[in-house]
Amino acid sequence: MRPSRIIRELNRITDPQAVLWRPEDLMLYEYDGLSSVRPPDAVVFPVTTEQVVKIVKLAAKENVPVIARGAGTGLSGGAVVTEGGIVVSFARMKKILEIDIENQRARVQPGVVNLDLSLATSDYGYYFVPDPSSQKACTIGGNVAENSGGPHTLAYGVTTNHVLGLEAVLPDGNVIHTGAKFCDRPGYDLTGLLVGSEGTMAIVTEIIVRLTRKPECAKTLLAIYNTVADATRSVAAITARGITPAALEMMDGFTLRAVEEATHAGYPMDSAAVLLIEVEGLLEAAEEQTDEIEAVCLENHARAVRRARNSQERDLLWKGRKNAFGALGRISPAFYVQDGVIPRTRLPEMLEHIAQVGAKYGITVGNVFHAGDGNLHPLLMFDNRDREESQRVLKAAEEILVKCAQMGGSITGEHGVGIEKNEMMPLIFSADDLEMMRKLKAAFNPAGILNPGKVLPTGKLCGELRVQVSAGAAA
Amino acid sequence: MPTTTTASDSLRAEFAELVGESQVISDPRHCATYDVDGKDPRCVVYPSSAEQVAAVLKHAADRNLAVIPCSNLTKIRTGNPPFRYDVALSLKEMNRAAYYEPADLVVSVEPGMKFGDLQEFVGRDKLWLPLDPPGGATCSVGGILAANASGPLRQLYGSARDMVLGLRIATTEGKIIRAGGRVVKNVAGYDLAKLLIGSYWTLGVIVEATFKLYPMPLNRATFILPTGTLGIARDLRRRLQQSPLEPMRMVLLDREAATLGRPGSPASADIHEPEIWIEAGGSKRVIERYAGTLDELSRGAGISVKREQADVAEDAWSRIADLRTVLTTSYPQLVILKTVLPIAATEQFISQAQQASAQGKLRIATIALVGVGVVHVYLLEGLPGPDLRDLINTLRNAAVSLGGELVIEWCAPEIKAGPDRPNQVDTWGAPGDDFEIMRKVKQAWDPKGILAPGRFIGVL
Repeated sequence: MRPSRIIRELNRITDPQAVLWRPEDLMLYEYDGLSSVRPPDAVVFPVTTEQVVKIVKLAAKENVPVIARGAGTGLSGGAVVTEGGIVVSFARMKKILEIDIENQRARVQPGVVNLDLSLATSDYGYYFVPDPSSQKACTIGGNVAENSGGPHTLAYGVTTNHVLGLEAVLPDGNVIHTGAKFCDRPGYDLTGLLVGSEGTMAIVTEIIVRLTRKPECAKTLLAIYNTVADATRSVAAITARGITPAALEMMDGFTLRAVEEATHAGYPMDSAAVLLIEVEGLLEAAEEQTDEIEAVCLENHARAVRRARNSQERDLLWKGRKNAFGALGRISPAFYVQDGVIPRTRLPEMLEHIAQVGAKYGITVGNVFHAGDGNLHPLLMFDNRDREESQRVLKAAEEILVKCAQMGGSITGEHGVGIEKNEMMPLIFSADDLEMMRKLKAAFNPAGILNPGKVLPTGKLCGELRVQVSAGAAA
Repeated sequence: MPTTTTASDSLRAEFAELVGESQVISDPRHCATYDVDGKDPRCVVYPSSAEQVAAVLKHAADRNLAVIPCSNLTKIRTGNPPFRYDVALSLKEMNRAAYYEPADLVVSVEPGMKFGDLQEFVGRDKLWLPLDPPGGATCSVGGILAANASGPLRQLYGSARDMVLGLRIATTEGKIIRAGGRVVKNVAGYDLAKLLIGSYWTLGVIVEATFKLYPMPLNRATFILPTGTLGIARDLRRRLQQSPLEPMRMVLLDREAATLGRPGSPASADIHEPEIWIEAGGSKRVIERYAGTLDELSRGAGISVKREQADVAEDAWSRIADLRTVLTTSYPQLVILKTVLPIAATEQFISQAQQASAQGKLRIATIALVGVGVVHVYLLEGLPGPDLRDLINTLRNAAVSLGGELVIEWCAPEIKAGPDRPNQVDTWGAPGDDFEIMRKVKQAWDPKGILAPGRFIGVL
């Protein structure tokens, strides 16, 4: 097999080692954390913005799609290839370009792994707040594309609240710089628009992020319940007391048993639900809030409230939570994770609905999610070799999302739209809303060569998606 | 002039059909109160619903009439002079709460609601929207969003861009579109809300905004650190940044600003220029912790911290958050410059501003959000036009060379660059390499260019 003309051009732009084109190599790039559709025609690994510009110009000239890719941990198919084209992998653009502690900023290339930035700034007492559960693998470029969240976004916001500026390549090869190291740069907030645009408007090549001072004190609690309803009521009660924990996570009995078997985090095997709660800040504030939260949980019939006594205990509790998806991979050939959001006061009602949907379709559903935000992650267990069961899972998931929309919520809280939910966008957006989004996309990407088939409905039916297991990391 | 009256009357009638007879005023004296940089509108339209706003915009677009939306006019002086101006679209009468769920910490309101009324409305449940923008209680929610206005509370809470969960927006096509939603976490679709916030009404008209609310702090205390010199102020700011404290507000005030903040206070006699003011919130134990840590930090810098009385502090914070209202009556020539900078450059910029104004023998007051990197410079007295223009340019150059930008928030129209006065100063400064995209974004929303034409950056 001989490389095509486009491959030869790509070789000239980068170097021959930086281009993959053989089918066996391309196979590795046909999937992300959600699923796969088809392999790309080439994968290229640029090392500079100039190379990205040349790649984009080549793609524009040849009219082939360009799909930017970080670590491929995304859960909505944002990095999946739909119509072939060139995957631009940022695996080699992973430099932390600048750490500026006094200005509380860092400038990074998109391929920097999320956790690596926090590790690099840790000695100064700083960290990068967004903490998707995949943070050991996922890249900041990917976080920007999907506007990723994580357990600690309850108090501090998602990626968009921590990104101040971007360097991005437009489909015509022009390089723009949005935002700045300082705040409130005059003009439209293009940074805010580009974060979460899933690589459909521009290809981000550099990111200015906010660094946050590490809190003096973090306290972690585990509240154990005999019923799911008591746990969800506690969530609303904590908010009603005026307490904003740094994280407020829930795991149901099914999930926590699977997690416990896999990680031995010390979760009680016989409970119906647990809340994993973290408070942060000044020592005095954290201590007082810990006492208050414990009291609220006990008032709402928690069987027991445990406190992590040291950082090892804390890490163990979090290890269980962050590895929950992987743990479920041990007990089911595949699972499909959903990402709907509802007002947190509707949690009791919603969890009941999820259980009913599971029963209706004969599917086991686990729940592990960001309860404080009302951001659900029902995990639908199935066997992906069973075509009929796969279809039932998709129907069940859609029914849950429809309910989220009816409750005034959203179809995605942090995983993004990608190819997973673009056809469901009409559940929460009108034709006029979507038309404006289309116009804005066209302002950046008029020929549509950047990451086609994502975010906006294509008019094709959904349900054709091949849902595959994603072991391990996810938010 | 009877012909003008006839034209205005027919315009009045056109809009009256859309919003009702009593909701359109074309009386020139009334229109004059809505002047923007010396131009009066031909009529003022007061819609009372989102649908009416959409209808007004569509009609204006069809007839190619220039519209400037507004409510209480507290920020109307920010912007280049409009190229043209036919209709003032007042959102004043759209002042209702559309949705409120205190248990979810969510409220949706119309844009004409006064900020003070919103705070009172949610304050019953001990909730608040932690913003303290210029214009204070009298400015409207819509105005805050259009300008992305914020004040010292930004230190802890960020700006409106961090608090808005969703918007409903009327477009020049006459549609009402939705961005975001009513839940605290939502990444479905492009984030149009970010784009609208801070767009100065040049893209669409916000007809409803949903905010995430915050619990009010149990107690608050204000500490004053008389730093004496900018060098000590910078040293203290660095120590504060490295400390575990998370103050709600932290500002650096020069002598003039500190005095204006606490007029007649017994302390005003011994104000040491400059001062850092810090507000802490939390339980009594947390407040005592602040007192202790601030005392330590201050002693390390060779100064002593003072705790301000609660009533004096509350008044002082509201005065400096809305210093323009305090100053405009006594200083009709007032010019307000907002400088945005990397945090580390704030003190240096203040020093350069002081030098530049001293050369021109001009009284200035500066208020800096030193933990954020925003410096407001108030030029109190008038200067002859060319001198003032030179001074603003000097300060802008200083800001740019320190890695920041300068925006004119408030000044007399004569100073502003406009189509007929290209030699005066531009409100926004030079656009960057993303301007072409901004132009396309504007084109997508407002293809005929009827919304606040020419007022925004690059005369968009």
